[in-house]
Amino acid sequence: MNKELTHLRVNGEEREIAITPNRLLLDALREDLGLTGSKRGCDDSSCGCCAVLIDGTPMLSCVALAASYEGREITTVEGLGGPGELDPVQEGYAEMGGAQCGYCTPGFMIATKALLDRNPDPTMDEIREALSGNLCRCTGYMQIYESVKYAIEKLRAKSATQAPATR
Amino acid sequence: MAKDTNGYNIIGKPMAMTDARAKVTGLGKYADDLSVPGMLIGKILHSPHAHARIRSIDTSQAEALAGVKVTATGEDARNPYGILPIGHDERAFALGKALYIGDNIAAVAATTPEVAERALDLIRVDYEQLPGWFDPEESMKASSNWINEERPQNIEKEYHHVFGDPEKGFGEADFIAEERYYAGEVNQAAMEPHATLAVWEPDNRLTVHSSTQVPFYLHRTIAAVCEMPMSQIRVIKPLIGGGFGGKSEIIPLEVAACVLAKKARKPVKITYTREEVFLAHRGRPITIVYLKVGLSRAGKITAVQARVIQDGGAYCGYGPVTVLYSGALLGAIYDIANVQYDGFRVLTNKPACGAMRGHGTVNVRFAFESILDQLSHQAGLDPLEVRRRNLLKAPCITANSLRVTSYGLPECIEKVFERSGWAEKKGNLPYGKGVGMACSHYVSGAANPIIRSNMPHTTVHIKIDRDAAVTVYTGASEIGQGSDTMQVQIAAEILGVSTDRIKLVAADTELTPIDLGSYSSRVTFMAGNACLNAAKDMRDQIVAAVARKFGCAADDFEVKDGRISHKSDAGKSLSFDEAVTVALEFHGALVARGTYAPPETARGGKFKGAGVGPSPAYSYSAQVAEVTVDPETGQVRVDKIVAAHDCGKALNPLTVEGQIEGSVYMGFGQALQEDMIWKDGRLMNPSLLEYRIPATKENPEIESIIVESIDPEGPFGAKEAGEGSLAATIPAIANAIFDAVGVRINSTPITPDKILDALREKQKLASGNGANAANKPVAAGGRL
Amino acid sequence: MTLPAFRVLQPRTVEDAVRMLDEHRSDAMVIAGGTDVIPNLQMRLFTPRVLVDVKPLRELAVIEFSARQGLHIGATATLTHILETPWMRDKFAVLASAIGTVAGPLQRNMGTIGGNLCLETRCRWYNQSHFWRQSLGGCLKKDGDICHVAPGGKFCWAAWSGDSAPAFLALDAELEIASLSGTRRVPLREFYKNDGMDRIALARNELLTAVHVPAHMAGRRGVYQKLRVRDSIDYPLAGVAVAMEVDSAGICKDARVALSAVNPAPMLVTQAGESLIGRKWSLELAERVAHAAIQTGKPLTTSGSTPVYRRDMVRVFTRRALEETWKNGHGSA
Repeated sequence: MNKELTHLRVNGEEREIAITPNRLLLDALREDLGLTGSKRGCDDSSCGCCAVLIDGTPMLSCVALAASYEGREITTVEGLGGPGELDPVQEGYAEMGGAQCGYCTPGFMIATKALLDRNPDPTMDEIREALSGNLCRCTGYMQIYESVKYAIEKLRAKSATQAPATR
Repeated sequence: MAKDTNGYNIIGKPMAMTDARAKVTGLGKYADDLSVPGMLIGKILHSPHAHARIRSIDTSQAEALAGVKVTATGEDARNPYGILPIGHDERAFALGKALYIGDNIAAVAATTPEVAERALDLIRVDYEQLPGWFDPEESMKASSNWINEERPQNIEKEYHHVFGDPEKGFGEADFIAEERYYAGEVNQAAMEPHATLAVWEPDNRLTVHSSTQVPFYLHRTIAAVCEMPMSQIRVIKPLIGGGFGGKSEIIPLEVAACVLAKKARKPVKITYTREEVFLAHRGRPITIVYLKVGLSRAGKITAVQARVIQDGGAYCGYGPVTVLYSGALLGAIYDIANVQYDGFRVLTNKPACGAMRGHGTVNVRFAFESILDQLSHQAGLDPLEVRRRNLLKAPCITANSLRVTSYGLPECIEKVFERSGWAEKKGNLPYGKGVGMACSHYVSGAANPIIRSNMPHTTVHIKIDRDAAVTVYTGASEIGQGSDTMQVQIAAEILGVSTDRIKLVAADTELTPIDLGSYSSRVTFMAGNACLNAAKDMRDQIVAAVARKFGCAADDFEVKDGRISHKSDAGKSLSFDEAVTVALEFHGALVARGTYAPPETARGGKFKGAGVGPSPAYSYSAQVAEVTVDPETGQVRVDKIVAAHDCGKALNPLTVEGQIEGSVYMGFGQALQEDMIWKDGRLMNPSLLEYRIPATKENPEIESIIVESIDPEGPFGAKEAGEGSLAATIPAIANAIFDAVGVRINSTPITPDKILDALREKQKLASGNGANAANKPVAAGGRL
Repeated sequence: MTLPAFRVLQPRTVEDAVRMLDEHRSDAMVIAGGTDVIPNLQMRLFTPRVLVDVKPLRELAVIEFSARQGLHIGATATLTHILETPWMRDKFAVLASAIGTVAGPLQRNMGTIGGNLCLETRCRWYNQSHFWRQSLGGCLKKDGDICHVAPGGKFCWAAWSGDSAPAFLALDAELEIASLSGTRRVPLREFYKNDGMDRIALARNELLTAVHVPAHMAGRRGVYQKLRVRDSIDYPLAGVAVAMEVDSAGICKDARVALSAVNPAPMLVTQAGESLIGRKWSLELAERVAHAAIQTGKPLTTSGSTPVYRRDMVRVFTRRALEETWKNGHGSA
């Protein structure tokens, strides 16, 4: 199978890789771009460990053909924030026990990020629903909810300080 | 000797895990994230037959395929291995016979996964199929065609224990219940599929990066299988994506990768597919429990008799230990004088079972706590009150010689009694709603090591040099449970410094001393104590040098808030950095060590099989589950679980709560939805789509409550936290279902169809035997 | 698991796409969201030489409603897009109800309505890896000549396991199918062949382009009830969709009941409409229709749980869906 030059826009950077047409986005990220934060946990699109944002929507990179996502804005866990500038979602999962073994965590954070970008004040049911395509085997989900709530508070505080006082 | 529980700076306060940032940035590396130049991809050929003689294997066509570098079969590594010294029955690849669908026959290492997969199709194996054994109760009647010729009747191991006088005990009982329980097979299903990277080094050494909970046993096994001295092998544990016991013995891909790497003289990585994780299995076995328990009118348990059969799969694995834990922990949670236990570990043509979270205790606890609920109702007593009447009085020695040093079960029971609203709810909820309670306990590590020796179970080194950084070298394996963080906390607390100053190096056999591994909930107690001892050794060395400098006694100084200060003379105080310089000038090098081995008094009785069960300390749990059952569909919703766990002392409440909640979650999964479905040795659901671990929406709300009994020997009083809660969840849910709709389901998972069948059976009885029978409990599901 | 080698063709128009399909015929497969196709390729259930990626065809992602034309959903509209269309729940309650139960949000963000209507039938003897199936010698549907569900039979019972199809059946939907010779419309109920091996009436050179629901269906009450173990991720073990028009006097003017996951096709319950039309709510009536439903649904051991239980639930869910629709008026516009 011949390799083809493929242009992916990942975490704000243009990347060019030579891949076969059957290359999955997950493998392109992990093996061709060295972004191993996205994980493989199943082989049947049922666990969510591989989730990445495509144009802001969380999707499963394990069932996406890389070449079909040229021109789309792909965000992986590495793109949420680096060690020096954690996103509030990352901070939440780190501080509140949302990451035990950490293997499902990138997928959960991606789903959380997408939720809070659209709905900064979700109800518990909305949180459960938004995370219902991801599986975690460690936490029993309770500390994941605490992590999400931490991020919500953090984002709220952030937007309060950023919003100019109008009154 | 109760220890001071207050006044700590770091211990007892919630702390984010030290590796949390590596995990949330995606920068931390798990085994499959690793790659090295020139790395080959290995793939394993699995047996398509459950029981077959291997007449011949021809790998020549596979070897001829472009991109294939090497193949391996059983002839390449003939030495047997196994986690237990009495069970060395596995080999890198099957020799002579394949014993289950998925057994390891051969492997290839190639330049790409695609080539490796194609090469597997080119390996020709000539099999002679043999009849298979799939049902444990049938298998143990086998008169011929045994799975392992050295195990007659396909019985891997059996144990028969009698404590007290069970016959007399049953004679004193006013109520006796006798039931058969059946627990389906479950798998750890850690989110990370196993992966191993074996790197053949230029100096002909072997470096192995593997997703293991037991780097030390892996080290030994690789040496034996590859016929290399241990000194030429280095095992490194990267981040681990969950273990739960599924990575607590040597998994076939680990030896396969090493055999291939040695043969190819190249790095080889093997990563399991999710299906292969299920083929390697090592989960909790199908367990059949015939249980008889007697209760007096006063609510005292008078005798227990259990016959337990575990479907172990085709290899020994941890089998004898599992079946011994089932016996040892069966009655020892309560004050029971008369216990008879007959345990059988049976071979079948299925993947080997292993040491899944709550090893050995979960399925017998399900049976015991269910029958106790049943007996309580027979006796007209509140089942929670019955537990209160059967408590141990610690410190004590149980009937089967287990030494109990701390016992927070009474407090756990009272906590869940209050928090669940038990008094208002029990028996008072409308039809379809119910509450149930159950208790459980677990070891804080095994008092006797798997491989008997007088060496310590764990050792920690601490080094400080001119940068005044504290480096802790520990063999303990962080697998997501927080063991690294726990040791950082202990070292920082004792040395009076902030946790930032501690750098921890873990689980690398070239750098760190030995720890036996992350299994049987041993790490906090054992590695924690070793770290505590090492930190104290280091503190004493520093204080000695400082005291000498000021011409005072060491006892005059305290170590706190980054300073070493005279207790009564404020002028005699050094910062930690200054103190390190003084100490280096005095000692030359600052190296400290700590070890831990359980005391002789904790090591149990002398009877055959007494070695398994004893632990330096036991954790205790009590739980109340509240459920809603739809009597028309049989569907169960678990509304809430209140779980109290006695962990001795919560060194890090954040991670302790995470462990309790994770245990309850896994118990919930086994109780209602998880089941490995077998047809003639073939697993019908080897995927996360079909093996249904709970997701967010059906998972119950969990309220975790920490109970601190302060164990006299635990580090700061700490005991086990990561497993003990699991076993209480299943019977708590089963008992709640009885409270809700009046039927007892004696088999897991408790699926809606079983509940409907039982409800119909009950109705049939009612219409057949008059109205009175409608209130009689009906057991179902145990008859399978 | 690796993927077989294939080329990916990216058509720019529907015409492009059908030309490609026509050219490659049995060598080609259509891919859109990938949630069903990719795992199936990894299991080697198919080994196409060519994948025609229709996902970028924006013209196929349109969701529209007009009082004249009714509902039009293009084949590559994602399930999430449909769910989040503001008027969907009010106008087509049963559809929103059904689509909301598909897998989880990540899968719905990728999965398309075309893919959901063209799912492969499922069976636990079939949806397994190459190794697994080989160890058994295959089955009737793939690489073998034995059905493990009904041994001795020559019929494949692999079950239809989609959620949206029964909802569309209850709404009397039509499909729009394109080929080189133009566009044809086919009633959805004629699209499914109730054969596990040959599930849909779609030729290899045809492309499903849209699904239509007649305008008069807008505002119908309706609900979908799904039997599953988990409240997300799982495909149905049984599913019942009800759509109904009820007048102000509480009399049923029109109704359809459809089942999923208990046959090789999603199926309308025969005689359900006839029994319901002109009647007022009664439990006996609902029970009667529920009884008709279990004559239509024939679950076998193709999936988890037990056939007896799944059949039982078809009965219970049918009655409950009727009750919920009729009495609570879900989705009444």
